Amino acid sequence: MVFHAAAALTTLKTAAATSLGLTFAALADPARRGVIDLLRCKPRRAGELASTLAISAPRMSQHLRVLRESGLIQEDAGEGDARVRVYRLRPEPFSALRGWLDEVEEFWQAELAAFKAHAERSRSKR
Amino acid sequence: MSASARSGDVATVSVTVGVGQTLAFDVFTREIDLWWRRGVRFRFGRRVGALCLESGVGGRLFESFDSESGPHVIEVGRVTHWDPPAALAFTWRNVNFAEDEITQVEITFESLSETSTRVTVRHRGWAMLRPDHPARHGLAPGEFIRVTGLWWGDLMTALREYIDRARNP
Repeated sequence: MVFHAAAALTTLKTAAATSLGLTFAALADPARRGVIDLLRCKPRRAGELASTLAISAPRMSQHLRVLRESGLIQEDAGEGDARVRVYRLRPEPFSALRGWLDEVEEFWQAELAAFKAHAERSRSKR
Repeated sequence: MSASARSGDVATVSVTVGVGQTLAFDVFTREIDLWWRRGVRFRFGRRVGALCLESGVGGRLFESFDSESGPHVIEVGRVTHWDPPAALAFTWRNVNFAEDEITQVEITFESLSETSTRVTVRHRGWAMLRPDHPARHGLAPGEFIRVTGLWWGDLMTALREYIDRARNP
């Protein structure tokens, strides 16, 4: 059976046209990945994200809009001051990420098992 | 490894090997072609070649193939940290990654006893999180389209299902 790369590309383009595709596109940008990394630790305000990542306020505002529209983050009113917006991660997209990391770990687990078998098998000969 | 240490882009795996630390490091690095799995989907070209890890910072991790036009090399990464017998680290970038999609692999060798070593792999980097990692679906990376900067979730599942259907009509 021949695998058709062109057909796979069509599948991907179709997905990109959906809201899920927005999620994928959101994480293509390193600055937005930086925002995600910061929000992993705790929710933060836009100003703090901008200054920590050394990004201008208008640019950060743009990034946050993309991340919101992709479903990766949500915006809440800050405690005590409803004008202050606090951003936090939405957990659902990241449970899928955990599944993928598990697969990468399976790959390395199998390689390390192969290494262990080889190292132990040959130790008596050294 | 505590749950809080498992950040979003680090895969961590350990194994305890029944040889001393120095031997473990030497076998890992010098005999990598002998122990790394030989299936095409665990290697880096369209067929299995000779895997090599050059020692020292700047050393290459590559697979070489003989061809009619001479030896052909696929470079996977470069050594960034070399500290025998305790640790090494190298970059990791499949041929189908973009230029800036570099991931980092760190290997540590912890001596537990004269005949026992704990070997840990930490693979980090957002670019690692992609559906066309060589282990994923038995296709050599070169056969697969370049997928850059896409997130995984349902798209990965849909793509995997598509591939399964294509390969098992």
